[in-house]
Amino acid sequence: MSTRWYPLYQMGNPQLRIFLPNFFMKLVKPKYSEPPNRVTFEVSMGMSRYDVKNYLEKIYKIPVISVQTRVTPGELKTTAGYVTKEDDYKTAFVVLEKSVNFSFPDLFAAGLKEKEYEKEMKSLEATKREYRKQQERNANRPGLPGWFSF
Amino acid sequence: MSALCRRIPSLVNQLRIPTFAALKQQKVILSSLPTRVLCVTLFSTKPPPSINDKLMEFFDDPKNWEKDNIKTGRSWKLDELRIKSNEDLHKLWYVLLKERNMLLTMERECQTEYRVFPNPERIDKVEESMENLETVVRERNRAYFELETTEPAERPGKLEMNQIGMRYFYKHSEHLIPKVMNRKWREKVVHGYEGNAVKKFLRLKAEKLRDREIWKTHSRRRYVSRIFSEYPDADVKSLQEAFPDVDVEAARKHIDARGNHDKNLD
Repeated sequence: MSTRWYPLYQMGNPQLRIFLPNFFMKLVKPKYSEPPNRVTFEVSMGMSRYDVKNYLEKIYKIPVISVQTRVTPGELKTTAGYVTKEDDYKTAFVVLEKSVNFSFPDLFAAGLKEKEYEKEMKSLEATKREYRKQQERNANRPGLPGWFSF
Repeated sequence: MSALCRRIPSLVNQLRIPTFAALKQQKVILSSLPTRVLCVTLFSTKPPPSINDKLMEFFDDPKNWEKDNIKTGRSWKLDELRIKSNEDLHKLWYVLLKERNMLLTMERECQTEYRVFPNPERIDKVEESMENLETVVRERNRAYFELETTEPAERPGKLEMNQIGMRYFYKHSEHLIPKVMNRKWREKVVHGYEGNAVKKFLRLKAEKLRDREIWKTHSRRRYVSRIFSEYPDADVKSLQEAFPDVDVEAARKHIDARGNHDKNLD
């Protein structure tokens, strides 16, 4: 449950208790359509299926039925003679109770960025129109500075 | 409490305030409970959080979803954490852990949607707080174990010599079989060196270090001589105290101590 060093387990040893777990879990959007009670997480590479189950049950108080995990190796990218490798990551598919209906929320549904962009484009168009009008007014006096008012 | 904490429900869960139904089932005498627990259990009309609400703990407050700039406080400092009790530190750890998970979820989603993740330094602040917390807990653990058992409860290790004659801190690890039977370990971890190549390397390394030390003493002597070249009447005694490893009298008579004045020693 953590990235620290722990003693080896042998038959007859007491149960290992881990304090201050430092593994992470990120809720991610599933690539393919999932049943409503199945949630996808990207978890620390050191986590087992039991770790994922205990993490959710103990820390987030979410009862878990089963977990499937899969490790995806990072892509190798070649640019201009050198090769880089992206990080490997582990995906955990967590099956919750049948009654649960969770769909990954659309965080950018309000589209505030798009609205801001439209506003800026509109003001830009207005500025262009004003500039063209001013050019037309001073068509017979080309090259005159803008602070000359007629 | 935590400058980054803004989730009261998670704290409530950690304080383990029971529902009215749970108390009835256990047949708890209500008057024996502390007042704050009683108030929340009897007079709260809020329904308990559903599993969807608990999953939404992985996401930020919806108001922050499309913001460009999200303001947060700074990380926890070591001295601020040292005055907290173990129980408080334990609770704070989980608050920070959940916050980190939330920030990492938001960052991942921004990556997927090709959007800019606002204020990525929040993750660094949380990680720094968690590092500091672990340092404080380790300090306390170490102090307790050193008092009780004269050994700190950290991973044991020892300074060993590697195959090129350099010392390094070898961290011990547990094995299921003794050293005598562990051929793979004996082949992998070799302490000690041999061979003329290593001896030559060590000779050259020692020469390099020795040259550096000699240069240092020479540069100090030169500095003292230059002081005398600028200030020929400088106090020899106080200079000797300031530069105990330099022969100040010899530095004064050195050719580097000649200055643009008529007090040069011939």
